[in-house]
Amino acid sequence: MASPNPRIPRTVIAGIALAVLLDTVIQITWKLAVAGIPDDASLGATVSGALSGPYFYVAMLAFGAQLINWMRVLARADLSYAQPFTALSYLTVLTLSSHTLHEHLSPARLCGVGMILAGVFLISRTSHRTPDVQRGTRA
Amino acid sequence: MSGSSTGLALVVAAVAVESLAQLLLKVGATGGAACLASKYRARVARIASLGRPAPWITLGVGAYCLEVFLYTLALHHLDVSVAFPLGSLCFVGVALLSRVFLGEAVGRTRFAGVALIILGSAFLAW
Repeated sequence: MASPNPRIPRTVIAGIALAVLLDTVIQITWKLAVAGIPDDASLGATVSGALSGPYFYVAMLAFGAQLINWMRVLARADLSYAQPFTALSYLTVLTLSSHTLHEHLSPARLCGVGMILAGVFLISRTSHRTPDVQRGTRA
Repeated sequence: MSGSSTGLALVVAAVAVESLAQLLLKVGATGGAACLASKYRARVARIASLGRPAPWITLGVGAYCLEVFLYTLALHHLDVSVAFPLGSLCFVGVALLSRVFLGEAVGRTRFAGVALIILGSAFLAW
């Protein structure tokens, strides 16, 4: 196993945390934007339904903020290091939706939560950035 | 093609497009072809020299919009409990593209982490 890298810049950690937060906001507001629309609504009705409430615009704002934030993260860290952390938003969305819907967390779901956390932990133990020499970019 | 195989094809297409979107955003974030593995860098630089700098970020956002469209279509054919874990295969797509095109050090630990995340998302959707 790769040795832990203690020198992950704070900007990368903060950026990844913000990415998970914004991803959660996007998913929840996106869901709320289309929540009241019947399943059998036409495409036009679905679109105008989504545009009539505030949630769609909040989701779009969060999407714009996410794009800016994610570019800053990617400028400082490997893509294959940073991107798997976004799986943490599965857990935040699950927690929020099960809280609001009063859903019971089944043992299978708890197993899933544990596995995702373990997977993200493993990736966090690898180096956040592949040195240029190793990538062969100084050819 | 039956409904579920259409759905599966759509999810696979969405995963491929999302992985590509992430790759394009990464290249855009690091200022262009310089972050690519050397053998691809020269080729891309040659293409880029033909005209204006490639609009990596615009292409990445465009690919993202296409992904949202494909995944939404897939959800019409597939149950969320199937589509959701399959969608998490983009972590594999990104790991592979990062290794091949960006020359990132994607070793056993990162792949093991990705495998656990995919397994975990399958359990979440169960």
